[in-house]
Amino acid sequence: MSAGLLQQMLIGALLGLSVYLPLRCGQLSLATPGFFAIGGTVAALLSTRIPAFAGTGATSPLPALLLEMGLGGLLAALLAWAIGGTVLRLRGIYLAIATIALVEILRVITLNLPFTGGALGIFGIPQPFATASGYAGFTLVLLALVCWLCARLEQLRLGRAMAAIRDDELAATCVGIDTAAVKLNAFVLSALLAGLTGALAAHFLNSWNAKVGSFDASITTLAFVVFGGSRTWLGPVIGGLVLTALPELLRPVGDLRLIVFGLVILLGPVLFPQGLITPQALQGLGHGLVGLGQQLRGYGHQLLERANGPRRP
Amino acid sequence: MSAAPLLEVAGLSCRFGGLVALNEVSLAVREGEIFGLIGPNGAGKTTLFNVISALTPPSSGRVLWRGQAITRSRPDQLSRLGLARTFQNLRLFDSLSVRDNVLVGLHRFAASPLAAGLLGSSKVRRRQRELEQRALELLALVGLAEEAQLPAASLPYGERRRLELARALATEPRLLLLDEPAAGMNPAEKNDLCELIRAIRDHFDLTVMIIEHHVPLMMRLCDRLAVLNFGERIALGTPEVVRHDSKVIEAYLGSPR
Ligand SMILES: Nc1ncnc2c1ncn2[C@@H]1O[C@H](COP(=O)(O)OP(=O)(O)OP(=O)(O)O)[C@@H](O)[C@H]1O
Ligand SMILES: [Mg+2]
Repeated sequence: MSAGLLQQMLIGALLGLSVYLPLRCGQLSLATPGFFAIGGTVAALLSTRIPAFAGTGATSPLPALLLEMGLGGLLAALLAWAIGGTVLRLRGIYLAIATIALVEILRVITLNLPFTGGALGIFGIPQPFATASGYAGFTLVLLALVCWLCARLEQLRLGRAMAAIRDDELAATCVGIDTAAVKLNAFVLSALLAGLTGALAAHFLNSWNAKVGSFDASITTLAFVVFGGSRTWLGPVIGGLVLTALPELLRPVGDLRLIVFGLVILLGPVLFPQGLITPQALQGLGHGLVGLGQQLRGYGHQLLERANGPRRP
Repeated sequence: MSAAPLLEVAGLSCRFGGLVALNEVSLAVREGEIFGLIGPNGAGKTTLFNVISALTPPSSGRVLWRGQAITRSRPDQLSRLGLARTFQNLRLFDSLSVRDNVLVGLHRFAASPLAAGLLGSSKVRRRQRELEQRALELLALVGLAEEAQLPAASLPYGERRRLELARALATEPRLLLLDEPAAGMNPAEKNDLCELIRAIRDHFDLTVMIIEHHVPLMMRLCDRLAVLNFGERIALGTPEVVRHDSKVIEAYLGSPR
């Protein structure tokens, strides 16, 4: 596996987590690619138009990248916050449709703005890392950090309130949860994550255009979560990694790969309606690993005994 | 000025299309009492609870909390005010553990800045442990301490009812609305539940409004009762008064003619 593919997979995992956050409180938002596109556009503009962001050396400065990620994430989060109050009143499929519309609106705006390069987009985005491995290393750290934060979130009041809303919104409001505020928090966090991921992706891809935030991308990122599961943070991570890698790994089978990819997306939910990763599955895996450990230890002892055997008198 | 009743319902009507579920219902619940609500199926008892807890908007009339109108409040605001309820058709958070269901009830007391929470500052961790302890105490109170780590969905029916009660108590209510908490229980279990409700009232010093079909049990448990029939409040008073009310006898036994 090349470092380039690994980098794409890691970005897929980050986007999966962005879809997961609202879904954890039962909100089917497909806006992630829109916020991803915003973050990328911010980074592309800053680093190609402002010399300080491009730097003078062979690679652009790392602080500039971090600043762009912060600004891209912040702009996406601000937009989410501004529209969330209204959009999140919609439920289920209506919210999904509204967020698809949002992605489309952002795409058309980006296409028509005078400074975003139209359909061709922005080229020659400076590189903060000389190699794909550099990117992958950085993104791996970022993903680990985000995973850790998501795992913490699940243990916190906000995370529990999100799960409660997903299970029964009416009961949640009756025990004192301001459901509108919790949903807005999840939506804003989702946008923040998508925005900063976009800023990173723009550098890695070297060019950025309006097509990045399209309806197709909405469906693909949703598939990450449907495939991996939305009960716990690990699901969308696995979904994002696997489904991003799959089309590349299937390249040898030629045109068939799209069909196989489609089948996986179709059969995944049929065979695993809760997604691959569920708390039960994790528990089973845990028990399995403990069992495996014990078995290995047993083998170890046997081997040791055998190795030590002849030397004994 | 003498204190206003904890909860007052004034001229409350609720229509669903042509159906009049509540018709000009008025009643007041005093601090500390166990107030019963009885009536035949479809009389509007659950609808009254839904209007009080702001889940269903009334067609007309008002709900007052210590004399203040709360008709336009949201359910979560009422929860903060001190209103909690259980549901006739049980509404637990099924994907969460038994303990976490109660922790969600403690939501209001767990406030911490998100950043401090995510980073797990020692203060936040200490608070978290306190709340977990509190959840376990509440579970012990309803006899579910052993089940704390099980998924809520795995509990049998009677235990689900008690878990819902613990979750409601976690919000530290002043007024607790119980919609048929003893439904589906056998007579012995019903008696136990009555004792539990009394004990809870005394222990937490709260006011209880309860719906239950078992009339003799309600006569023993409640300080006062209101009787609904076809959305109208046909009687109100102590068990003694209600027992001998001719309209009530008619509603339950049919007209003598
Ligand atoms: N949301 C609703 N929409 C339409 N009709 C409703 C709604 N909620 C309740 N009703 C009707 O209002 C009437 C009163 O219902 P309610 O549930 O309050 O009765 P209840 O006294 O609680 O009865 P039970 O003892 O069977 O629980 C019933 O005829 C019911 O069908
Ligand atoms: Mg009812």
